[in-house]
Amino acid sequence: MFLNILRTGRVLTALIMFLIFLSMTILAMGYTDAAALMPLMIGIPGTILGLVQLVMEYRVAKRELAIEPDDSEIPKLKLERKNEIQMILWMVIFFIGLLSFGFTYASPILVFSFLYIGKKESLTISIISSVCTLLVIYGFFIQTLQIPLFNGLIVEWLFD
Amino acid sequence: MDFSGIFSALFNIIGSPYNMFLLLLAVPIGMFFGAVPGLGGKLGVVMVIPFVFGMEPISGAIFLISMHAVVHTAGSVPSILFGVPGTGAEAATIVDGLPMNKKGEAGRAMGAALGASGLGGVIGALFLLAVLPVLRPVILAFSPAEFFLLAIFGITFIAMLSGNSLIKGLLVGFFGLMVAFINLDPNTGIERYTFGMYFLWDGVDIITAILAIFAIPEMIALGVEGGAMAMKDKHAKAGYKGVIQGLMDVVKNWGLAVRTSIIGAFIGMIPGLGGDAATWICYGHAIQTSKDPESFGKGNVRGVIAPETANNSKEGGSLLPTLFFAVPGSSGMAILLGAFVMLGIQPGPSMAITGMDIVWTLIWTLMIANVVAVGMFLLFVPLFGYLSYVRGSLLIPFVFTLTFLGSFLGHRAWENLIILTVLGIFGYFLKKYSWPRAPFVIGLILGPIAEDSYHKAMMLWGPEFLLRPGALTMITLIVLSIGIYSWRMYKKSKQTDEANHSVS
Repeated sequence: MFLNILRTGRVLTALIMFLIFLSMTILAMGYTDAAALMPLMIGIPGTILGLVQLVMEYRVAKRELAIEPDDSEIPKLKLERKNEIQMILWMVIFFIGLLSFGFTYASPILVFSFLYIGKKESLTISIISSVCTLLVIYGFFIQTLQIPLFNGLIVEWLFD
Repeated sequence: MDFSGIFSALFNIIGSPYNMFLLLLAVPIGMFFGAVPGLGGKLGVVMVIPFVFGMEPISGAIFLISMHAVVHTAGSVPSILFGVPGTGAEAATIVDGLPMNKKGEAGRAMGAALGASGLGGVIGALFLLAVLPVLRPVILAFSPAEFFLLAIFGITFIAMLSGNSLIKGLLVGFFGLMVAFINLDPNTGIERYTFGMYFLWDGVDIITAILAIFAIPEMIALGVEGGAMAMKDKHAKAGYKGVIQGLMDVVKNWGLAVRTSIIGAFIGMIPGLGGDAATWICYGHAIQTSKDPESFGKGNVRGVIAPETANNSKEGGSLLPTLFFAVPGSSGMAILLGAFVMLGIQPGPSMAITGMDIVWTLIWTLMIANVVAVGMFLLFVPLFGYLSYVRGSLLIPFVFTLTFLGSFLGHRAWENLIILTVLGIFGYFLKKYSWPRAPFVIGLILGPIAEDSYHKAMMLWGPEFLLRPGALTMITLIVLSIGIYSWRMYKKSKQTDEANHSVS
C-alpha cells in the first residue's frame, strides 16, 4: 500500500520537489558563508515546506487510492496514461534526435515521424510539414538570418 | 521648454519620406524578432547594425529605436497562443493569456495585449519627456539597498500568485530562487551547484527555464488531451470581434494601464534592475488592486494588460540613463548604446546641451513606432487567433522544434537542451497536479537581483542599509502592499463565509 501511494504521480512530484530542496540545502552547507547565505535562507524553509507538502500529498493519494474507480473511468484513465507516456517519449526522442543530429538534419525527420508515425496523419501532410520545417530551419535561420545552428554531437564528431 | 525644437523633431520624422520609410520598415522587423522565441530584440539590433552603419545619425537612430520599441508588442502572440514566450519579459503574459486562449478568447487576449503594448509604449515615451528635468536625482536615489528591497517587493508577489495552495506556490517560487543560485557566486566566485559544468557558470538560461516550465508542459498536455489549444466553438470570439473587445478592455481598465505603464517606465529607468522584473511587478500590482484576485491565472484580462503595458513602457524609461548618462538601463539598451556610438551619436550628459534634437526625435519615434505597430498588427491578429483552433497534433512538433531552437539560441549552448527536457517533463507534472508555475519565474528573475544587491548593500553600509530613507520607503511599501492584500482577502473570505451561511 505504502509503495503504491508513493508511486502515484502527485506524491512523486512532491517527493522530487522535497529532494531537490534537501539536496541543494545540504550542498549549500559546504560553501563559504557568503556563497551559502541565500541558498540556505531559501533552502531550509523550502525543505520544511516540501516535507509538509509531501505529507499532504501522501494523504490525498491515500484517500484517492481507497476509492474504487468507476468502471467507465478505467479505460479513460488508461488512455490518458498511455498518451502521457507517448508524449514524454516523443519529447525525449526530439531531445535525443536534435542533440545527436542537430537542427537542420533532425528537425524535418522528427516532425515527419511525429506526424506520420505518432499521430497517424496523412503522408501528404507529414511531408509538407517536414519540408516547411526544413525551409524555416535551413532557409530562414541559417541562410537568411545567417545564424549558425547546432549541428548535433554525432554529426560534429563524424565531420570533425 | 523648447517647443519649437520638440515639434521640429516630430516634423523631421513625419515630414521626411525617407525617415518614415525607415520607421515603417523597422517596425515589422522588430515585431518579427520579438515573436520568434530565442531571437529577441537584442539579436535583431545586432543583425541590422551593419545595414544602418553609414546612415545619417538621426535616420539610423530612428530605424534602431523603432525596431527596439516594438519587439515586445509581437512577443505576446506566441505567449498567448502556445505558451511560448519570446523573451523572459513575456512570460508574465502567459499566466492569464494562455487560459484566455483556452477559453476561446485568443482574439480578446491579443487585442488587450496589443492595445496595452501601444499605450504602454506611448506612456513610456511621455514619461521620458516628463522626468527629464528631475532625472539625475531620481536615478541616483536608487542604490543596492533599494534594489534589494524592490526585488523583495516583487518576491512577495509569489504568495499572491499561489492561488488556492500557498505552500505549493511558495515551493515553486523558492524552486525558482534556488535555480537562480546555480552559478558562479557573483561575490565570492565560488561554483554553486554547477558540478564542474562551465555552461552553468553564468547561471541557468532564463529563456530555457521559462520555455521548460510553460511551453513544454502545455504541449505535452495538448498531446495527452488531444484536440486544439482552444476548446470552444470556432466562431466564439475569433476575428475582429474578439480583438476589439480586447482593445476596449484596455480602455475600460485605463487606470490600471496608466499605472502599470508608469511603474514599468520607472523600473526601466533604473539601470541594473532588468526589464523582466517590471512585467512581474506590474502583474503583481494588478492582482493586488483587483477586486477578485483569485481569478488571476484563470484568464483575467487585467493579467494581460498589466505586463504588456509595462513591457513596452520600460523601453522608454531605459532610454533615459542610456542617453543622458551613457549607462544602459538594460542589455538591449547596451547594444543600442554601442550602435548609437557607431552612428556618431555620443550619449552622455552633453546630450542635454547639444543633442536635444536627437532626444526629441527618439521620443517621438518611440511614440510613432508603437502606434504604427498597433495598426500593422491589427491586420494580422485575427488570423493569428485562428491558430488556436488548429489540431494540436499539427502544432506540437513545430512548437517542440521552436522551443528547442529558442532554448539553444538563448546562450548558443547545446547543454540547454538537457535542462529544457528535464525541467520540461518536471513542469508537466507540476501542471498536472495543479502546482502554480508563475512563481517560478518571479524567483528566477528576482533572485539574482536580490542576492547581488544584498551583498553590495551589506558591504557598503552593513545592516544599517535598511535604515536609509529610500529603503525605509520601500519597506513601508512592502508592508502596506501585503497588509492591503491580506485585508482584502480576509474581507473576501468573510463575505464568502457569510454568503455560505445565508444559503445554508
